[in-house]
Amino acid sequence: MPKEVVLIEVKGVTKIYGKKDNLFIALKDVNLIIPEGATVAITGKSGSGKSTLMHVMSGIDHPNDGQVLISGKDLHSMKRKEMDKFRAEEMSFIFQAFFVEANQTCYQNVALPLEIAEIPLRRRRTLVEKALGRVELGDKIDSKARDLSGGQKQRLAIARAIVNQPKIIFADEPTGNLDSVTGDRIVDLLFELNKTLGCTICIVTHDEELAKRCSMKVVIKDGEIIDLIQRKAVKTVTKSSTKKAKKK
Amino acid sequence: MKVIDTLRRSNRSLLSAKARTILTALAIGVGAFALTLTLSASNGAERFVNQIVSDNFDPAELIVSADEAVFNRVDTSKPQEYDESFGEIASQAGATTQIKQIDAEDIEKISQVDGVDSVREGVSVSLKYLTREGQKKYVGVVGTFSPYQKPDLLAGEIPESLGNRQILLPEGYLSSLGFVNPEDAVGKTVRLVMNKSTGSSLLAQAQSEQGINISQESLMEFQKEVEFSEDFTIVAVLKKPVTSQPGTELYMYAGIEDTKRLNDIIKEGTPGFQKYSYIFVRVKDGENESKLIEVQNKLKDMGYEAQSVKDTQEFLNQIIGVLRGIVITFGLIALIASVFGVINTMYISVLQRTREIGLMKALGMRKRDVGRLFRFEAAWIGFIGGAIGSLLAFVIGSLMNPWITKKLELGDDSLLVFDIKQIVVLIFLLVLVAIFAGLLPARKATKLDPIEALRTE
Repeated sequence: MPKEVVLIEVKGVTKIYGKKDNLFIALKDVNLIIPEGATVAITGKSGSGKSTLMHVMSGIDHPNDGQVLISGKDLHSMKRKEMDKFRAEEMSFIFQAFFVEANQTCYQNVALPLEIAEIPLRRRRTLVEKALGRVELGDKIDSKARDLSGGQKQRLAIARAIVNQPKIIFADEPTGNLDSVTGDRIVDLLFELNKTLGCTICIVTHDEELAKRCSMKVVIKDGEIIDLIQRKAVKTVTKSSTKKAKKK
Repeated sequence: MKVIDTLRRSNRSLLSAKARTILTALAIGVGAFALTLTLSASNGAERFVNQIVSDNFDPAELIVSADEAVFNRVDTSKPQEYDESFGEIASQAGATTQIKQIDAEDIEKISQVDGVDSVREGVSVSLKYLTREGQKKYVGVVGTFSPYQKPDLLAGEIPESLGNRQILLPEGYLSSLGFVNPEDAVGKTVRLVMNKSTGSSLLAQAQSEQGINISQESLMEFQKEVEFSEDFTIVAVLKKPVTSQPGTELYMYAGIEDTKRLNDIIKEGTPGFQKYSYIFVRVKDGENESKLIEVQNKLKDMGYEAQSVKDTQEFLNQIIGVLRGIVITFGLIALIASVFGVINTMYISVLQRTREIGLMKALGMRKRDVGRLFRFEAAWIGFIGGAIGSLLAFVIGSLMNPWITKKLELGDDSLLVFDIKQIVVLIFLLVLVAIFAGLLPARKATKLDPIEALRTE
């Protein structure tokens, strides 16, 4: 049996919102281990804490208690600057509402993470072209984002997410704003990228169909993990992606 | 994020809201416009003053008086105590102040001072009238020509040493005295008619003998007694000077020997005889400022008041400075108003781009860079506003300049003098002001919580 490499380890994370009389416990002592190359579906009803879990795992939000280890490094004990750098180089996001800048061209949208990670200008064009090619938007590189359809916009957002070759992509309801056909294509694309690029993908979703296709399904209710399903498929994926990651 | 990328991003976001950017920039532009015009106008005024001074005064000369009232305004609302030693009661009719005069003894003393080259009395001769055969009589004043002065001439030329009843006639007298053109006047003579100052006492004497109804004959007799005249040859015609001291446009000029002689005849027998309110002291190598100041201090130690051309210039420039300050204040008020405009615009920009900021922060953009993004944006607005305002001021000012110059009769000078260096500094300052205005909104952007910003719904 191939060895699983642990990428994210959530240890006893608790997150509380509000003050004294108006406390809301979003996460209650959550423990979770995500292996490298996994596709993770985080499901649950709205208000269950699934988005909060994603925010805490990505370092956007800070837990009141507990740790998030990424490749063994404690994310929340990092200094601000260090964490920013870490996020710029290792993580990426896809959102339900795309959050692409309509007034900017596809190139400018996709180049944003490269600018933030301070990738030299001369290398950017190739990286952007490659990323747009992967989402089949290669011919739209100089079009304004406003001229794209909804599905194209989400593909653009995916290109932006993969351009800097992150280890982890966090996707928050990536198909929520799309019709089912377009949504399916986006999901296909995500799984394909998971295979070809070997990046770990965490998807927050309501969509059961989508959740079934993931190697891991995490069900959250009232801030607690009530169900955790790991499928075998993950192991082969993990194996190939681990190799790739090591080659880098 | 690298500075160049930040700059490019902020530039792009301004372009995506062109109307808002331009309108906010225009508010700054109004301030820039006012300030550019003010600065250029005071440049022109300063240049004008310097021109007047250098055209009329010898930089190696000091103006020396025995009384500070000659240079400084004294408080005329309070009575001045009578001082026997002053010699003359007042220098002017209707004056309520005494002015201590410089007499022959003072001149002797001053001439002896080490470093003094020569002394020239400040004399001007008030005529009873001047005229020419077959022409009307006109009022006039003859000033002493300083060899340093280099006036523009319409005809003739100024001899090396003006004297021997030679006179320079201003353009304004030409047609009045019946000359067809400037050349026509050169070489002709004019008659200067003056009254001896003792005339008034003679008249008083005659009145006391004959009563108020003084007879026509004795009046004629009296006039003959006090009136005297001399004929002067016109050697050159002065062009109406643009940069002369105000009120001296119609001054005729003669050499020092002539004006002194006439002045002595007029004042003979009065307390003002051979006494002067001020004299000109030429300093050896006085172009060298330290030598000038050396002599100036010596004279001051001796109890005289001494002013150099520079002092006069500085005094005039001080007045200009005050006026400039006032207008600049108005410009600054306009700027302060525009600062609020920039703050407002930047706040809107931050609000509009909440998600973009959230995304950038989620992607690991540093706080410092987020703040910089908005400060750059503000800086761009300041730059555009400053450039538009000062360019507009430059264009409009340049177009208006000939008209203003004509209205103010400035001759070859122009009121508005644009200084590129000043404009560059001004725009730079406006950029700083805009950045300052953008500080609060930029801070809001850096403090933005990405979770809140990225929340859908």
